[in-house]
Amino acid sequence: MRKLLESTITVWALLGGVLLLTIVLVTTVNVGAFTLDRIARLFDFHVPGLSGYEDFVRLGVSAAALMFFPYCQLRRGHVKVDLLVRYFPPRLQKALDILWLLITATIAVGLARYMLAGLGESRSDHVMSPVLDWPEWPFYAPGIISLILWAVVALTQIGLGQDTEPKRG
Amino acid sequence: MGERELIGVAGLALMFGLLIFRIPVGLAMIVVGIGGNYALSLVVPYLRFEPYMKQFKSLLWSNMANYELSVVPLFILMGYLASRANLSRDLFHGMNAVLGRFRGGVAMAAVGACAGFGAVCGSSLATASTMGRVALPELKRLRYAGRLSTGTLAAGGTLGILIPPSVALVIYAIIVEASIIRMFQAAVVPGLIAVAFFLLVIMLSVRLNPAVAPGVETFSSAERRVALQRMIPVVLIFGSIILGLGLGLFTPTPAAAVGVFLVMCYGFFLRGRHGGGLNLQGIKSSLLETAVTAGMIYFIIFGAEVLKTFFTRSGLPAALAAWAGASGLDPWFLLIFMLLIFIVLGCFMDSLAMILVMVPFFWPALVDLNGGDYVSTDTAAYGMDIDHLKLWFGILALVVIELGLITPPIGLNVFIINMLAHDVPMSETFRGVVPFIGIEVVRIVLLLLVPGLVLLLPGGLSP
Repeated sequence: MRKLLESTITVWALLGGVLLLTIVLVTTVNVGAFTLDRIARLFDFHVPGLSGYEDFVRLGVSAAALMFFPYCQLRRGHVKVDLLVRYFPPRLQKALDILWLLITATIAVGLARYMLAGLGESRSDHVMSPVLDWPEWPFYAPGIISLILWAVVALTQIGLGQDTEPKRG
Repeated sequence: MGERELIGVAGLALMFGLLIFRIPVGLAMIVVGIGGNYALSLVVPYLRFEPYMKQFKSLLWSNMANYELSVVPLFILMGYLASRANLSRDLFHGMNAVLGRFRGGVAMAAVGACAGFGAVCGSSLATASTMGRVALPELKRLRYAGRLSTGTLAAGGTLGILIPPSVALVIYAIIVEASIIRMFQAAVVPGLIAVAFFLLVIMLSVRLNPAVAPGVETFSSAERRVALQRMIPVVLIFGSIILGLGLGLFTPTPAAAVGVFLVMCYGFFLRGRHGGGLNLQGIKSSLLETAVTAGMIYFIIFGAEVLKTFFTRSGLPAALAAWAGASGLDPWFLLIFMLLIFIVLGCFMDSLAMILVMVPFFWPALVDLNGGDYVSTDTAAYGMDIDHLKLWFGILALVVIELGLITPPIGLNVFIINMLAHDVPMSETFRGVVPFIGIEVVRIVLLLLVPGLVLLLPGGLSP
């Protein structure tokens, strides 16, 4: 079960990564078009850039960034300070870890609930991106899924004791 | 100070208290932000809690859907791809082919490679760990003293935070509403001064005690040619990004995206030609490493947004700014005091979190001390208008934060390098960074006394 969860979250993060690579590709094409346009203008030609490129980057990165959250949790990547706790008895360290994981899961679920309401409002208000005129609500969906996955990972990490060694200071 | 501001102070104290108990930094910010807003709603009836919570319907999404911030994951990805494609190794070997023949030259090559890699990486920790893996074995082979090699790499790694593009600079620019490009331009000269100073420290260390660098690198002319040939494309890719940004030819997101594209193309070319470079597994690993780092940064950014709302509603930043303006204290004293706070916090706090939490407090106070938003250069306390103050303070803050990365008791870079150099005791590594800390203090004083070093490029090149 745990393996399945890890694979799902890894694939989810990789999908976010593919989205990032798509942003790279679209931006590079846009930069290429602008560069060609500068040259073409010398000969009275015009090469258009990609219309709404900033919209695309903005919408794409909104999904990609949140898709990274569960994997970051899976790898215990969130920055923490470890000045004192490393000297605490292991049981107290574990208790603190469980407390923070529970709070993480609660906040992730709470944010998912609010974001779901946000998706509904964005849809009913017909909120569109300014240039591309794409509806924004579908871009909430990857975020909501990510937050739920994040909460699940945090809950499964309770008691695993992965957090007993020093992290970042 | 009223009840509202006191709740703000209590929130700040609670956040530092929670951090000590190893709570993730982003989580501490969210907990204090939401809890603080609840406390405010109990004391100040018109600051109601329910309407505040409703903003979470779109707050997280709109925080992520930010075009300017899109540069962050792109620069992180570029750094990991460059590392996987072994461009960091090619850069170091090329520098080594030029400098390795001199005593202490391999350590100098490591500093040069750190500066070059910092230009694509944007993170001090990643620069330190990547260059540490590449350069430490060479330094050990040539019997460099553990103190000199680890000290050099820990200090060299700090160049990543300042040399453009830098994730920390992007975040700072967004907080104070400065131009990211001008911020990058402002960082170029202080970054180059750091490189020069670090080289000077190595030269002096070797001159005073030749035993710390007994061996020199011997290259045949064929080996030197190959090393230089492999370095040139890397320098061209990294150089075009840093020059393009520094001269204002690109905006950050296109520069980062084109940088990722070029590094990938060159990585595939290397794969086809030498069998090294990038393959699909390398890209997959880079994407997953990016997911961890970018996820961590975005979580802190969101946490800081939640915390900022609480502090703004508590009125604490405005009260501090008003107090600073009316206190009659010397503006220079308060500026140095702020920088000292950064140094102290740097001993136990992440650099990004420090910028996100403290700059919103310091910046309004600094503007007030300088004479307000519309002050002219002649009447400003620091002798510059608000736009230049943004650049100067940002660079000073970052240099000070850099110092925190190599200062005991934590000094993150020192720990990273020490983990890679298994046979060097931690005390030796800390002794190794002492001369670099000394020269960093000299650089801070220089930048304080001669703001022109920061303002030279953005002042001279921007329209």
